[in-house]
Amino acid sequence: MAGLLIRMKLAVLRNGLGGKRSEELAGGAMIGLFLAAATLYLVTRPDRTSAAFDVMALASAVWALGWMVGPAMFGGGKEALPPEIFALLPLDPRRLAAGLLGASFVGIAPLISLVAFSGLVVLAARWGAAAVVVAVPAAVLQLVLVILLSRVTTASLNQVMRTRTGAAVSAAASAAIMALAGSGWALSPAAGSALQTGFPAHLSAGLRLSPTGWGLAAIEAAGRSDWLRALAALAGLVVLCGLLLLGWTSLLMRRMTTRPSEGGGQVSPAMPVTARGPLTAVLVKELRTWLRDLRRFHFYAFALLYSVFFCGLPLAAGSTDFLPWTGLLFAATAAAMSSGLYGEDGTGLWLTLLTPAASAPDVRGRQLAWLAVVAPPTVALTAGLTAVTGHRELWPLLLALLPAVLGAAAGLIVLASLMRLVPIPDPHKRSGNMIENPTDFTQVLLCLALLSVAALPTVLLAQQSSWAGVATGLATGIGLFWLLGELARRRLDARGPELLQLMRSGPARPAAEPIRGFRPPAAGRPIPEFKIGTMRAAATLLLTICWIPLFPQGIVPAVMLLTDNVAPSWFLPLHLPPPYQWPVITGMIVLGLTLATGGLVLARKAPISGRP
Amino acid sequence: MNALTISGLYKSFGKKAAVDHIDLSVPEGSFFGLVGPNGAGKTTALSMAVGLLRPDAGTAKIFGHDMWREPRRAKSLLGVLPDGVALPERLTGREMLTYLGLLRGLDARVVADRAAELLALLELDGAERTLVIEYSTGMRKKIALAAALLHAPKLVVLDEPLEAVDPISAATVKTILRRFVASGGTVIFSSHVMAVVEQLCDRVAVISSGRVVAAGPVSAVTGGIGLEERFMSLIGAPEIAAGGLSWLAS
Repeated sequence: MAGLLIRMKLAVLRNGLGGKRSEELAGGAMIGLFLAAATLYLVTRPDRTSAAFDVMALASAVWALGWMVGPAMFGGGKEALPPEIFALLPLDPRRLAAGLLGASFVGIAPLISLVAFSGLVVLAARWGAAAVVVAVPAAVLQLVLVILLSRVTTASLNQVMRTRTGAAVSAAASAAIMALAGSGWALSPAAGSALQTGFPAHLSAGLRLSPTGWGLAAIEAAGRSDWLRALAALAGLVVLCGLLLLGWTSLLMRRMTTRPSEGGGQVSPAMPVTARGPLTAVLVKELRTWLRDLRRFHFYAFALLYSVFFCGLPLAAGSTDFLPWTGLLFAATAAAMSSGLYGEDGTGLWLTLLTPAASAPDVRGRQLAWLAVVAPPTVALTAGLTAVTGHRELWPLLLALLPAVLGAAAGLIVLASLMRLVPIPDPHKRSGNMIENPTDFTQVLLCLALLSVAALPTVLLAQQSSWAGVATGLATGIGLFWLLGELARRRLDARGPELLQLMRSGPARPAAEPIRGFRPPAAGRPIPEFKIGTMRAAATLLLTICWIPLFPQGIVPAVMLLTDNVAPSWFLPLHLPPPYQWPVITGMIVLGLTLATGGLVLARKAPISGRP
Repeated sequence: MNALTISGLYKSFGKKAAVDHIDLSVPEGSFFGLVGPNGAGKTTALSMAVGLLRPDAGTAKIFGHDMWREPRRAKSLLGVLPDGVALPERLTGREMLTYLGLLRGLDARVVADRAAELLALLELDGAERTLVIEYSTGMRKKIALAAALLHAPKLVVLDEPLEAVDPISAATVKTILRRFVASGGTVIFSSHVMAVVEQLCDRVAVISSGRVVAAGPVSAVTGGIGLEERFMSLIGAPEIAAGGLSWLAS
């Protein structure tokens, strides 16, 4: 069974080679090998054996975590052997699961992970030959464990992904990873000292108690000639793997025999529509959609958690400077996540087009509904966290920015989603799996950039006088809410049928019906398929790292210097002598913008869809 | 007075003309069937006639009002059921009708009464707690039909209204449409089920490769033979080779 499935998987992998897939594969293998090498390097670095063990225990846990969330984050949809294709064959489920597990070991990722887990053998050498003998099966068992953990997590996630819990969990995971990319520097001083002196006792103990540390425990025991303990730890791993295999078998069965319906399909009947006219009708429809659509719920949860994580992480370095900005970051992220608002409805636009005079209430209703769900947490987070952290000097600026950002965002989302419409499949044709329906990265960045531009006058005037700032903020917010909404309505009236046609032609060929006067003419020569993979990878990389020089090392220290509120913490430019501060900040901002522009140009040529 | 007048309507996608200068007139009070093979251009032609797809050339008039010059007037007289498009998915059936009625500027009370009647008639009132996204294909057709009728239009255009609808619901839909025509309304609907068209319609047009190949009263188009036979001879059906698959015999 396993042999046959392995041959089948090899055939699938071989057929997939060449072109884009092999580019991605090579890229992934490079990153994986780098991470494996980093693991081995870190494990051999500490002088003290206990510190080295701590590092390996942490590395094992991180690799396991990567295997667990990786497939869900970066495309678990592309399985080489989806179990459904075996559903009609007369096979014993347990044999099928075991066979599929065997086939899972074929591939580059397990091989690279084995390299990383060989760190166990390297470490065991410190204890002598007996420990090395135990380390070899321990490393293999750890690999089996992470692969099984990965299968079980992905299978369970697929079951809950269509529920509110699943949406919240996946939003939290994405938010944590993105926030770490931006604010993770705050954790670096602590990490540096831990590498030499070992981890705090409770962390170290916890890491060893978790199953990812059992292999290490076995080696440690073998080093002390405590054979009973060593055997027990290894046996524990074997038993756990067996249990996980059983669990995975039942999840596989469920997957092959059920078709999960989207959660939230049933609603309480006691929700009368209290609307009285066209505008309130749209408002109520939109509010209920925000409440019931898992995709929107996911984006909303992501925006909220991302802003809280991003602004909260610097607390690890003792800085509260970011917390007052949590609310505004939430509003900006929520706007960026909503920048495909009209695309979300798919071809549902036909109803607006067929109803006389429906465009104005449609646009305004959507704007108001967005404000109704985003503004209250924005105001509450801003007021609450500013009061708690005691950054009273920020009040004038925050009060000026609140109306400016909220109003401009409510205008931007409708206009951006109509000017640069990104078609996605119709709601009833979507799989319900967020992984397969990503947001459009360019759209998100465009929205954030335009929002920053809109807020700029308010920031500048607020430096002059508090009242001027608040007045400008109010005027900006109200003005842009009205103006951008009006422009969106005009576009809907003028180009409605073309927009609908673009939605119908679908995401498969988004350039099929270019909208005149907005989309640039298509490039003269088509880009070879194999290059697109590399360009997409580069674009994603650039767009991921550009934030680090741009925000924490550029704009944030600039604002601190401007407001005379300097807290150097982990802002590189603020640690420099004053004459160098501004040049370095400028350099960082230019670097960030250059990376972002490069990423956008590449993304434009080889469209990417990044997950939030 | 014609309910719908199409003249010189043309649309091409790339080099292929999907609808190639079509002329059609649908008299008021008629039950009009539009038939043709898959990809003949039925949906494209109807989309242009109701204002969902901008034509490259030609005009479409609803009771004399040009769809692309006076869209508001034309659209207020028109109810449409397109094929395979999204609806307000996160609303229940009743919420969807309420929302659409209010958006059309109807009084809230009128909307509530009409929605209740339509839901009961189409037997959707049992699914009060189900969102449209969870509806079966047949239920989607029925709720879309309710939405098309809600504002009491004078012309109803339906694209494949009976596809995937069970026989009992189909009978209900047919009754509703017949009653609508009997009370002075006009129905245009496309289908590739000839029997249904023959059973319901008094006029028919056959479209093939973006052109009208026959149009007029059903009896005139069929000329004494069945519509299906006439259709085959107009379009030209391929012969199926005899023999083959002999191993399937048990």
